[in-house]
Amino acid sequence: MDGLNALLVKIGRGVGGVVGTLYQAGRDTIDTIIRNILPFMAFISFIIGLVLVTGVGDWIAQGIKGLAGNIVGLLIVSVVCAIPVLSPLLGPGAVIAQVVGTLLGVEIGRGNIPPQMALPALFAINPQVGCDFIPVGLALGEAEPETVEVGVPAVLFSRLITGPLSVVIAYVASFGMYS
Amino acid sequence: MNIFLAADTVAEPEGVWGAIAGGAEYFIGIFNQGGEVFFGLMGGILPTLVVLLTAVNALIRIIGPEKIEALGVKAAQPGLQWYPVRYMLLPFLAVFFLTNPMAYTMGRFLPERMKPAFYDSAVSYVHPITGLFPHANPGELFVYLGIAAGITELGLGLGDLALRYLLVGLVVIFIRGIVTEWITARMLAKKGAAA
Repeated sequence: MDGLNALLVKIGRGVGGVVGTLYQAGRDTIDTIIRNILPFMAFISFIIGLVLVTGVGDWIAQGIKGLAGNIVGLLIVSVVCAIPVLSPLLGPGAVIAQVVGTLLGVEIGRGNIPPQMALPALFAINPQVGCDFIPVGLALGEAEPETVEVGVPAVLFSRLITGPLSVVIAYVASFGMYS
Repeated sequence: MNIFLAADTVAEPEGVWGAIAGGAEYFIGIFNQGGEVFFGLMGGILPTLVVLLTAVNALIRIIGPEKIEALGVKAAQPGLQWYPVRYMLLPFLAVFFLTNPMAYTMGRFLPERMKPAFYDSAVSYVHPITGLFPHANPGELFVYLGIAAGITELGLGLGDLALRYLLVGLVVIFIRGIVTEWITARMLAKKGAAA
């Protein structure tokens, strides 16, 4: 009898643990959706609505087409985003990258930018990723103050090289996609 | 519905009032369009996202993110063969299991001279990973989703783009890690010489 009891308790615990984990995962998910995802969707929806209905879209299309429709333009975008003074300003929350990504998406959907440019564009609009966060990120990795002092410029300068390079790699990797 | 249909048979307002009314319609039109886009996102992406996020969150809880710490210790070793571990495998697993921004805490297992490079490598992966694993960075999905929306609009599949973004991202963070480690080493040497 004792053995059966112990078994039942064991099964109960195991099932309870798994269900509890799944339930907690669901709770985390809904929390993330409400806190992080829905607010940005609302913001993005407004921007897309504005771009589609007003003439702003066509105006932006003219500017973007020249830059995002070919590899040279994308390289220029990536170099600008990687400039060490600009990159920390463009970084926070990836808001700029997300808005530009959305605008590019609208233009791809309208046929103004060829779809195979999507991959290099993803890298061209994002060489500044995390440039605003370097001291905090290094602190999370328990770096010494001396490391932070060297690390901030090291990352910023590295982006000047690796930013445009990533666009070239992505461009080569995009051959054969959507064509 | 009938009210709106009836409106078609009534003469349009003219003059100044007509212009204002037209302006009002245009104004509302922007938000109607935006609302339609919002509804499309809610109906299209969100349900999948909820289920995917739940599944991956549960998986991470069951596996236990602390398991990758052993890899962090190993990645700190010198030698060429540890470069791909340090700047590809470790950032990938850190971003997947610990997500943004806790992924950067894995840097604590590395020596000081490698920390900036690891941060650079890890932070550069928080967007490429979102194509397939959005749980890693749910607050910044639209870098990928924004552009992906255009591809969907054209009626093309997203698998190709998501996978290539993921793989090219790995190559890019590997290069970024090497370049940044090299620059950091040079700057440390210069600083050491000056002091």
